Amino acid sequence: MEPIQIAERLKERFPEEVLDVKEFRGQVSVTVGKGRILEICRYLHDDPDLYLDYLIDLCGVDYLGKKDNRFEVVYHLYSIRHRHALRLKAEVPQNDARIDSVMPVWIGVNWHERECYDLFGIVFSGHPDLRRVLLPEDWEGYPLRKDYPLKGPDTEWSGFTDVLERSKKYRQFDWYQ
Amino acid sequence: MAVYASHNDLDRMGIIPRGSPRQSDFMFVAGTVTKKMSEIVRRVYDQMPEPRYVISVGSCANSGGIFNTYSTVQGCDTFLPIDVYIPGCPPRPEAFIDGIIRLQEKIRHEQFRWSRWR
Amino acid sequence: MEDIEKPFETKELTISMGPQHPATHGVLRLVLQLNGENVVKCTPYVGYLHRGVEKLGEHRTYFAALPLTDRLDYISSMNNNVGYVNAVEKLFGIEAPERAKFIRTMVAEMGRISSHIIWLGTHVLDIGATTPFLLSMAQRERILDLFEMLCGARLTVSYPRVGGVRNDISQEFLDLLYEFVLDFPSNMDDFETLVTENRIWKERTVDIGVISAEEAVNWGLTGGTLRGSGVDYDVRKYFPYDAYDRVEFDVPVGKKGDCYDRYLVRVGELRQANRIIKQCIENLPAGPVMADAPKFTLPPKDMVLKDMEHLIHQFILITKGPTVPEGEVYVGSEVPKGELGFYFVSDGTGKPYRMRVRSPSFVHASVLPRLSEGGLIADVIANIGTIDIVLGECDR
Repeated sequence: MEPIQIAERLKERFPEEVLDVKEFRGQVSVTVGKGRILEICRYLHDDPDLYLDYLIDLCGVDYLGKKDNRFEVVYHLYSIRHRHALRLKAEVPQNDARIDSVMPVWIGVNWHERECYDLFGIVFSGHPDLRRVLLPEDWEGYPLRKDYPLKGPDTEWSGFTDVLERSKKYRQFDWYQ
Repeated sequence: MAVYASHNDLDRMGIIPRGSPRQSDFMFVAGTVTKKMSEIVRRVYDQMPEPRYVISVGSCANSGGIFNTYSTVQGCDTFLPIDVYIPGCPPRPEAFIDGIIRLQEKIRHEQFRWSRWR
Repeated sequence: MEDIEKPFETKELTISMGPQHPATHGVLRLVLQLNGENVVKCTPYVGYLHRGVEKLGEHRTYFAALPLTDRLDYISSMNNNVGYVNAVEKLFGIEAPERAKFIRTMVAEMGRISSHIIWLGTHVLDIGATTPFLLSMAQRERILDLFEMLCGARLTVSYPRVGGVRNDISQEFLDLLYEFVLDFPSNMDDFETLVTENRIWKERTVDIGVISAEEAVNWGLTGGTLRGSGVDYDVRKYFPYDAYDRVEFDVPVGKKGDCYDRYLVRVGELRQANRIIKQCIENLPAGPVMADAPKFTLPPKDMVLKDMEHLIHQFILITKGPTVPEGEVYVGSEVPKGELGFYFVSDGTGKPYRMRVRSPSFVHASVLPRLSEGGLIADVIANIGTIDIVLGECDR
């Protein structure tokens, strides 16, 4: 099935959820609201004609100052049986940065959602183990947000300052004690 | 990794990889050191018995290299005493061997560095 | 006598393996809860090599972000480069000339051989055999020498460019590569004699870490790890890029989805890669190696040194970057580890607004608890080896 047809079927099924359909270089992206994302994903996965059984990727995008809803969570879906693909985008506003986890549908999304939480601060409700994955647990801030500086904020992460202090202390160790 | 294998055999320099820092004389800091990793690198160094030496391998360990970002340590000499820096990203095996020979020369020429009256 | 017949009482034990453990292929940390020798719970911790490549990519032009992809999966950097330039070309809407496509296919398969061969060597070394490691590294050295002849670098090559490749290849290179291609099957035979039917090897890998086809798809596995379970999903066949639709090759698939099947799949891929290189050398078309798209590709260097217009052109492209249409693309490519995808969001400037790297190792590391729990602690090592992860790519 052509990806544009999938988008149309999705629009028929969820008329008020589908906000926008765009095509660029032969790839179709469907923007949806975040409210019924789990239902939409379940439908895309289970419908025998669509059968998008393979979630390639999940990632977040930060549109700071570009769009009304600051974040977008992007799902790249693929059907190995029918060989068609679709990009699903869910808009997430800044003041309520939470969205339903799609782990009941694709279990492999586990770490992708954790990473998205780690780097963007989007909370996936219903995720069984939502911790930071790449950065240390007590890291402050969400690095991939556009207002986070590339070289990090001025205050250093406490774990690293500990290491620096310890190495300084060991260097001054008094051997004549 | 190529230096341990067939073409550039490190064993002939008397260098044998050990599984544990407690049996080692020197360690390589190979690759980028991130802030999350820094504590572990330091702990591995602290576990080593004296005399101990550190070789920093590659631009990323020497200075952070191209990764001038929030999570990367800009040079592992900020928290470790480094004896030899090997440049290159990644260094060639020849550079690697040269670095080890330089360390051997350095050890040969040092006096009282590890004694009690240092 | 009664004491002996009583079963052993074991306590639950939690051990932390890594991140500087030699068998974890980098800086992976596993916290294992053990009951005797059985793994009750396995929790992987990654991120010890998180360097912020995605963030750094947003601050660089499309051309300047290419060397970052070398350092993702540092043992198959050629494949990463090819994947990256394909994604950028799709975004720009340009296409590389035919000769460049064949060269890229050829060098990508060389990268696949060098990566698979190092996987083979270290995986076998982890399980306890030293000789195959030395054999495989000797073969890898030949590939690296060829890379050095091609572009001057052994590992971080940055040879493919947006719109083609950096320089044309010489006849001498082709001759040496052809020699390698002819030798390679017999070297593989040597290797397989040592390992494939070896009884110890089979004891250690058959029926270890079994994952069924449906489950593997649901977990989002890719590459050899998925094909070991019997799904023939290969980006080179499903979304042919470069010259993969003009060469013949088979996609080896496994049956059961255990460590041994994954091993067989990757050994099969090595032979197929060799076959692809051979076809590429034989069918290499003549012609230019850079696309004729002056708005998106850098001008040739000798013209830059001679001509004012080209110099200005290069200056603008390097400092500001090209003017890119607004939009977003996702392009996947088959790297030795699995599917490496690049997702670009462009806002019309010369730098990507968002550069997302979908790395196969990240997904494969997340499946490790599923494979290891319920098995023995020795099988954890076999599982880490068989999913073929590189932590530089996993953590980005």
